[in-house]
Amino acid sequence: MTPDEDRRQFLKLGSLVAAGGLLAGKSAAQQPPSAAGPPVPMAGSHAGHESAPQPQIPADSDVKAEYDGFSRFKPSRGNDPDSEFYLGKRVPGFRSVEAGPAPFEAPDLTKLPWKMVNGAKEFHLVPMAVEREFLPGYKMNVYGYNDTMPGPTIEVNQGDRVRIIVTNELPESTTVHWHGFELPVQYDGSETLTQNPIEPGKSFVYEFDIHEEGTFFYHAHVPMQEAFGSVGWFIVHPRKVFDPPVDRDFGLIFQNFFIEPNQTIADSWRMDWNWHTINGRSGPYTTPLVVKHGERVRVRLMNFAPMQHHPIHLHGHTFWVTGHEGARAPKTAWIPRNNVLVGIAQATDFEFVANNPGDWMFHCHMVHHMMNHMTRQVGPRIRKNVSVDQYLANTATRPPVDASRDDPGFATPGYPQEMKSMNMSDSMMETIWNRREVQGMRAMWPMSIMGLMTALRVLPEDLYHKVMETDEPVDKGSVFEEIVRRFGNPDDYEPGKMKMMPGMKM
Amino acid sequence: MKCKHSRIRKLLTLALSASASMASAQQAHFSDGSARSMTMPADRRVLPESELPPLPEVPTGFFDSGLSETANQSSYTLDYLLQLAAANNPTIRQARRQISGETAKALQAGLYPNPILMYVGEKINSDGSAGEFQGFEIQQRFVTANKLQLSRLKYRQRAQVAEHLAIAQQYRVSNDIQKHFYQTLAASERLDMRRELLKTAEDTSVTARELYNQGQTTLPGIRRANIDLQQHRLDLLNAENEFAEAFRKLTAVIGCDISLGYIDGNLRPQRALPTFDAVYAELIDNSPEVLAARAKLAADHTAVRRESVQWVPDIVVQGGPGYNFSNYDPVYNASVRLELPIYDRNQGTILQARNDLARQREEIRRIELLLRERLAMAYRTYATSLQHATEYEGVIIPERQRAYEELLQSYKENRVDWPEILDAQTALFTARLQQIDQFRDVRIQETLIDGFLLEGGLMAAESSTPPGHIDSVPKPR
Ligand SMILES: [Cu+2]
Repeated sequence: MTPDEDRRQFLKLGSLVAAGGLLAGKSAAQQPPSAAGPPVPMAGSHAGHESAPQPQIPADSDVKAEYDGFSRFKPSRGNDPDSEFYLGKRVPGFRSVEAGPAPFEAPDLTKLPWKMVNGAKEFHLVPMAVEREFLPGYKMNVYGYNDTMPGPTIEVNQGDRVRIIVTNELPESTTVHWHGFELPVQYDGSETLTQNPIEPGKSFVYEFDIHEEGTFFYHAHVPMQEAFGSVGWFIVHPRKVFDPPVDRDFGLIFQNFFIEPNQTIADSWRMDWNWHTINGRSGPYTTPLVVKHGERVRVRLMNFAPMQHHPIHLHGHTFWVTGHEGARAPKTAWIPRNNVLVGIAQATDFEFVANNPGDWMFHCHMVHHMMNHMTRQVGPRIRKNVSVDQYLANTATRPPVDASRDDPGFATPGYPQEMKSMNMSDSMMETIWNRREVQGMRAMWPMSIMGLMTALRVLPEDLYHKVMETDEPVDKGSVFEEIVRRFGNPDDYEPGKMKMMPGMKM
Repeated sequence: MKCKHSRIRKLLTLALSASASMASAQQAHFSDGSARSMTMPADRRVLPESELPPLPEVPTGFFDSGLSETANQSSYTLDYLLQLAAANNPTIRQARRQISGETAKALQAGLYPNPILMYVGEKINSDGSAGEFQGFEIQQRFVTANKLQLSRLKYRQRAQVAEHLAIAQQYRVSNDIQKHFYQTLAASERLDMRRELLKTAEDTSVTARELYNQGQTTLPGIRRANIDLQQHRLDLLNAENEFAEAFRKLTAVIGCDISLGYIDGNLRPQRALPTFDAVYAELIDNSPEVLAARAKLAADHTAVRRESVQWVPDIVVQGGPGYNFSNYDPVYNASVRLELPIYDRNQGTILQARNDLARQREEIRRIELLLRERLAMAYRTYATSLQHATEYEGVIIPERQRAYEELLQSYKENRVDWPEILDAQTALFTARLQQIDQFRDVRIQETLIDGFLLEGGLMAAESSTPPGHIDSVPKPR
């Protein structure tokens, strides 16, 4: 190594140590090691893997760290593709079967309350026009239920009887279809075929027994209302808890809308789509799925796009497809995948053991779905020393154009292909950063999560506690850097840039 | 320098010479092959810059050299130009000469006839003598019936007609000055807008090249942008030529040469005119054309009175001393003459004068109606352009402006394509261009309506004397 390289290595290492120390120092100050709660063993004076706390099985759990060569704490496959534990297939979560199903969690969505009335769980569902903030400051006009789009989650148990009183507050008639349920035909919600439409202001009572279990949803059976957002989860927990038990049960509804610039009303007639939402929010405003290192995770992902299928890709993990919206698949039919195509009105359940700490992308792989509004990259944003602010500053005249095109990029056909120079306002950034779920992610991470994208955060116990269970301030990048320090190669790591530069990649 | 106000010879730069040099600078940029400095190997390019259709040359075929005079920067105000015109426009001086001409005729018409001195030799060789009368006689015509006074009055009244016509001529000149002033002002504002539109067209051709590099347009797309660019350059040249025309017309009406320059004024109308009926009532009360016609009616009355006394015979008295060579004694001659109005009592001319008078009554009515007809057109043009100008000002321009700003904001948020901004920009600047025309039309019609609809500041000043028989006699009467 030359002295220069030496020095660079030293500086990199030093900055990581400092970041780790900062995180440790702050939490140490607020939480002495003797206090209850997970230990925070990071120390500023140490660097490297040795100093990191080793992942541990909680004392009250009898699961193992390793099954037939598959480790729940580090990337691994196991020894035998035919093994029950290959790729974590049947590796249980920390939660016991006896504890019942893990709580279902659809980030950014509410649950529909119910009351027991005459032996049935009675729900009140109200179709209505709804304002939904896709991104901070981007409040869109869509249809939903009970003030939210997608509608609130109906969550019941196998064997329940449900009564759902639907009161139509839309200005047009509607019905509700209970997608996938084998119910008496009069409650199927197919307009005219099985019932008269529910006129504005009127109610209709749906009542049926639920013998199914699994991932279902409800939606308006009026196509344009579907395209406008009228959908919600209907989750049925099994009478016999699925084995292996999961620690996390997430639900994500993927949707597409077309909304013109300077518009808030979705154009449901369009054949292309420029806004993409997960549970009603668009990346980077989608809320990451935050789990603990070693947990078994289920994600139920439903595609309610009007016209497009989504190839869903999770980074850093291999997941098992354990079922679709119809039913849970027998284990012999499970398949391991990195990417699964989820068709329109289909749901896919996938399960995996979160054995690889970090912030992982979880997204639709269609490139046009990985941004919010495609625009051609021509004009000031690709020109040297030009910004649209110069045009906005004085609209009585316009800046002259430099026609020289001397950017070397123009020697390459196709240049530029990056989405350049989008401004995110400070207040938008603040709202995006202001959630516990994103604390400690790399600076400028919002520039990489757009459209149908979210993140899976796999955090060691102590970092999970700090991020999700305390109100302590967490510096940008500090959690990520700590994970690199413990599980990666800090020598090769450069922290994220703290401030967005003009022309920075979106 | 023919202009009396040579101290204000101001050479003014028209920014167009600057814009021309800017455009050619850009031309150099386009064609100098700056791509050579790129680090990428040239053979990796699908279509090198040099093989793209070149940008068209800046038009060079013909250029109005008067426009490129390098000059100081100065500006002319309307008041100043009106003063210049008052001093230099020949028709105003002509009009004054018409008044003086009529006054001179009045002088002449009222002059008393001169006495006639005669040498008389009568009956020469009677009885072999030298003549019965050899001597001097004086003849004097005594004018009766106030003929001279009436003639003088008539021409004085015609001088009054000429005064009204001179006022009309001043309006013609000042209206024309204002008209050309606003035309020139509008032309220079149009130039500014044309420059903005040209910048947008230049941007369009740059954008076409950027789109081409991303596979989003074709070579015909680049050619379309080239055509668009060239058309905007021609539009700018056209605007420059219009400016030169307007300014040169302005200087022509002023009556002296001043260099091309900026016009210091406000094109926006400041007020609204009264109703058509109010304007028309004011017009027939105070229009110099109507006043001249009425004054001419008075003169025609006088002409009738004058011709009516023409038949009253003047008395011609003649006489003088002489010598009778027959009788050899001094003698005197004396005679008094009187024309007997038996056959010619000037009936025809009286009739003609009466017809002239009646004709003049119709002339007043004709002028009033002609004014109404002209006002109808002016008022319609005024109303239409003011309505347009008001709505462009209040709604259309602000809406275009907001649309442009919203699109810029959307572009900033990565939500719209740049070509859409270029369209909005073009629409905004085009609307402003149209607004300039509307303001100009309002101002021109306002000027005409305020100025009794008089135009033609370089038409010869009108004479108060109509062509005709009565006035063609040797002595005006
Ligand atoms: Cu997709």
